[in-house]
Amino acid sequence: MNQSRQIILRLYITGQTSTSRIALANLKKLIDEELLGMYELQVIDVLQNPQLAEEDKILATPTLIKVLPPPIRKIIGDLSDGEKVLLGLDLTVR
Amino acid sequence: MKRKGITQDGPVHGLPRIATGIKGFDEFLGGGLPRGRATLVSGSTGTGKTVFLSSFLYYGIKEQGENGVFVTFEETPADILLNVKGFGWEFEPLIQESRLTFVDASPTDEVVEAGVKYNLSPLLQRIGHAIKKVAAKRVVIDGLDGLFARFSNKEVVRATLYALAMDLKSIGVTALISAERSEAGAGLSRYGAMDFVSDGVIELDLISGQQQFIRTMSIRKLRGCEYRSGVVEYSISHRGIEIYPKIDTESLVALTDFSVRRKFGITQLDRMLGGGVPQGHVVLLSGNTGTGKTTFGMQFIVEGNRTGEKAVFVALEESITQIKKTAVEHGWDFDKPEQEGKLSFVTTGLIDISPDRLLYQIVNAVDRIGATRLVVDSVSSLMSATMSEEQVRQFLIQLSAFLKRKGVTCVMNYLCSANFGAMKGQLLSNIMSNEMRLSSITDGLIMLLYVERGQSVRKLLNVLKLRGSVHSKEVFRYEIRKGKIVIQGKYEE
Repeated sequence: MNQSRQIILRLYITGQTSTSRIALANLKKLIDEELLGMYELQVIDVLQNPQLAEEDKILATPTLIKVLPPPIRKIIGDLSDGEKVLLGLDLTVR
Repeated sequence: MKRKGITQDGPVHGLPRIATGIKGFDEFLGGGLPRGRATLVSGSTGTGKTVFLSSFLYYGIKEQGENGVFVTFEETPADILLNVKGFGWEFEPLIQESRLTFVDASPTDEVVEAGVKYNLSPLLQRIGHAIKKVAAKRVVIDGLDGLFARFSNKEVVRATLYALAMDLKSIGVTALISAERSEAGAGLSRYGAMDFVSDGVIELDLISGQQQFIRTMSIRKLRGCEYRSGVVEYSISHRGIEIYPKIDTESLVALTDFSVRRKFGITQLDRMLGGGVPQGHVVLLSGNTGTGKTTFGMQFIVEGNRTGEKAVFVALEESITQIKKTAVEHGWDFDKPEQEGKLSFVTTGLIDISPDRLLYQIVNAVDRIGATRLVVDSVSSLMSATMSEEQVRQFLIQLSAFLKRKGVTCVMNYLCSANFGAMKGQLLSNIMSNEMRLSSITDGLIMLLYVERGQSVRKLLNVLKLRGSVHSKEVFRYEIRKGKIVIQGKYEE
């Protein structure tokens, strides 16, 4: 796979709440449909990893961060609006 | 029964307090911030909120061994580190030693909201984690109200702040939180979060003076604590923050010690004063231009130094350099005692004068060298400065309370344009109406006057009042000869 086109996404959640599960499900659907599987998804639980949350400066959950390709983008909410998520991530996929 | 003042030596009732180390602040609060509680500092931009918070944390680590967490919602940690360097506070080593850590909640990354279903628990997690990491006892949160602007779900923000307040309390840290206070009413008060976020609110204000800003602060509430009400002034300089709390004028009323007399070193004058000025007295030395008031004031200082006492000279009429030059002309050296710590000068600009700050300059100078004599040249300068009459009164009342408590004797110069006049009776009524405001707050009044007789102008001296002491009622002639004051015979009309 071409490195410059690799997409790394990081989803921050707080524990296994219903919103967390919904966000994760929405995200997985979006990725499979739109990004055709060319991605790496990391799921981080703030309760387990507050240090990572500090490093990424996370204030809200769920937060989806596009780590790569730059620039860094952050989206918060349950990610139910797929179009908004893609726009927010600044990912144009044809 | 709630007491207004606070005794200096007795215990402070209410909650235990934590020392902030900010000059004058702990005194103003009645002992320090309430331990284990959250206090809010509210003020518009430029009032120095971040400096307060930084100072509280820095002092806690350096002087009290209490580690701290700095949660920042506005400035980046890098900016804060740079800003505090200006005060000589080095935060980096403290971070290296794990005594201080930042929670960076500053708005550096753009965040897009896809819906309103989110919560702010990461913030709570990060703060909790930071507190554990350095075993913090102090937490400061800068710009907390910024959360409302950054997130559209205000309910979530409110709930988070509530949870945060509960967390901080249960962990037992002492928190100092800052928030903006704007005309628009945005922030904590608008969203009704003020009350549960803090147990106390301190308001900072910035008022425009003629040439510069005047900073004031007041306590809006401090649950469970006794504190001094009212508005006080503070300043921010390269040294940090300095608050000028009002001097307690109600409790511990100290009195003049009549058994101790502070002489002028002018035999006749000291005799007229019943032996000298009683210790703790504030004596007004009133006279027209050219009567030699400043010379009398200097003589009081010189005599004090001669007998081993230390003195403070408040120079408001002339510059300190000029005073020293004038002293030399009289045959006195003021440089040497100053270098030896026996004499200290206090001066201030008169435009936008801060009476509280001047008061504290005097208090600090007296305390620093252990002065027992004070000369103020002149109180008339204060009255013509941008100080209201009431401010001058309050300044003098507080100064007097302080001086009596410390056993410091004061000679204060006052410019009076009254002359002796053709009739003695006319003199007295002139004087009384002019000095009426001051005579009730001063303990003595020495008059220096001119009288024209034939071709010459004579200088006359009279002790008009000296509370609680025997004093001469007679009028004497005097001269300033070769720089020294010489008292001649009684005045014969």
